[in-house]
Amino acid sequence: MGLVIVASYNVDANPVDFAEGMPNLGIIISEIFVLESLIDDLKYIPTALWAMLETLQMAFIGTVIGVTIGLPLSMLAARNLNSKFVYAPTRALLAIIRTFPSILWALLFVIMVGLGPYAGVLAIVMYTIGFVTKLQYESIETIDSDPMDAVSSIGVSKFQLIRYVVLPESASHLLGQILYMFDYNVRQTSILGIVGAGGIGFFIINYIKFFEYGKAAIFMLIVLITVLAIDWISVKVRDKYIIKSQHGMEVKTK
Amino acid sequence: MTETPSFSLISTNKIIQMNDVWTSYDSKSFALSGVNLSIDRGTNYAIVGQSGSGKSTLLKLMNGMMIPSKGTIKMDYQTPNMNNKTFKKMMHTIGYIPQSLGLVKNISVLDNILIGALPRLSTMQSILKQFPEHEIQEAKRILKLVGLSGKESRKAYMISGGEKRRVAIARALMQKPTILLADEIVSELDHVTAREIMDLILDAQKKMNLTAIMVHHDMALALEYANRVAVMKEGKKILEIGVEGDSIVDFQAGDMGIEEIMEMYNTDAKE
Ligand SMILES: Nc1ncnc2c1ncn2[C@@H]1O[C@H](COP(=O)(O)OP(=O)(O)OP(=O)(O)O)[C@@H](O)[C@H]1O
Ligand SMILES: [Mg+2]
Repeated sequence: MGLVIVASYNVDANPVDFAEGMPNLGIIISEIFVLESLIDDLKYIPTALWAMLETLQMAFIGTVIGVTIGLPLSMLAARNLNSKFVYAPTRALLAIIRTFPSILWALLFVIMVGLGPYAGVLAIVMYTIGFVTKLQYESIETIDSDPMDAVSSIGVSKFQLIRYVVLPESASHLLGQILYMFDYNVRQTSILGIVGAGGIGFFIINYIKFFEYGKAAIFMLIVLITVLAIDWISVKVRDKYIIKSQHGMEVKTK
Repeated sequence: MTETPSFSLISTNKIIQMNDVWTSYDSKSFALSGVNLSIDRGTNYAIVGQSGSGKSTLLKLMNGMMIPSKGTIKMDYQTPNMNNKTFKKMMHTIGYIPQSLGLVKNISVLDNILIGALPRLSTMQSILKQFPEHEIQEAKRILKLVGLSGKESRKAYMISGGEKRRVAIARALMQKPTILLADEIVSELDHVTAREIMDLILDAQKKMNLTAIMVHHDMALALEYANRVAVMKEGKKILEIGVEGDSIVDFQAGDMGIEEIMEMYNTDAKE
């Protein structure tokens, strides 16, 4: 609590400002519900849906590419698969990538490749690489060492060890993490538009700039519904496939 | 601790030799202190001894998973070391069944057995999981041999303890091994199943001209199945016995007095 007060003081967040701002929220809400403008705003639902679809596509492509690059990096970063000379530099590189929040990557790519969804996808790719690898190499390191040792003792190659022991034994964890990453990336992509990196956030920020709160609200509502839907679906998928197979993993040879 | 000749002079075909081997897991104590071993090709060699006496450590040294801190080991005239390219080739044909079995839990019984054939696959074949038809047929033959018919598509975590042992044996046989290292694979089983599995290994051994080194908990079982039995205590080999049929043909005492040895034999046999 004390920390919150100190932190607020530092960023100049005065509770009085917040209290004075409250009536503004009332004005915004009342503006949204003016009937004629509400009907007018509803016409924007198709546009909002298209923007949301673009956001989903960006999040999906970003997650897929990010995981495709990230998974091999996780294998290199896992301590139980590599010597120090391999995992230490890989981990350092990943730690550097991880220090940037997605919005900063977006800004960087907007500068490099220009405005639009392309920059947004690249930002999601980078963020995913930094984030998902950490989850993945940590779960690879928790794999039971017994099958690893037994199969290594046959003298198989590193590829074969990964293909026949590491992936099967960690698949349910890895899939769960990828699903979680996609879920998270949808939320992130929704705000990347703020810096001009495409997606639905671009519309929201512009409507707010021009005081079109009604339209902004419609767009935000679409984001809310989509995120809730994806959340619900991923919980269902996780329950059905992943929790079940993890249950099996607990039945150990002892 | 001199290697008494009698047996070893007859055959010069030594497949495993250990010379004054010392090793430790930490700096405080030695898991093995000065072990000498010499095993003829085709022998069924048993290692017995109390818990913590260094039996598992001996096997880990033989397949290069561990390296001695002092002394020399030769496996078919090569020094075991899993990080050495030449020895890695030899590991292809050393079937090692650890005490924990080391099955991959989330893949099927048949896939676990096929792992034994991985050294014979190209990188591309193994990534695409394309085992040649003759390897699949061989895996199915071994599956039947170890008594697992009908269980081939079960996930490895969904079978019984005895069945898990059979899978581990099948994986080792799939390697087309010349040496089999098995760590207490029948210790926790009932007598009937234990004998069934031992007969199976003995049979495979005769057909494939295997050298088998098996750690046992039960001295009686070791004497029944092995040609030679080594007794370990506190990191030392205290005794080696040669067996022919029902009789002991050769008796090499190490550091211990005969009374102590007989006492140990009796307690082990009773268990
Ligand atoms: N991974 C390890 N780390 C440290 N010490 C170990 C490890 N494995 C074994 N030891 C020690 O080395 C010694 C020999 O162990 P080893 O596993 O070879 O015994 P064992 O004869 O196989 O016993 P058991 O019958 O219980 O399997 C023991 O004192 C044990 O405590
Ligand atoms: Mg042991």
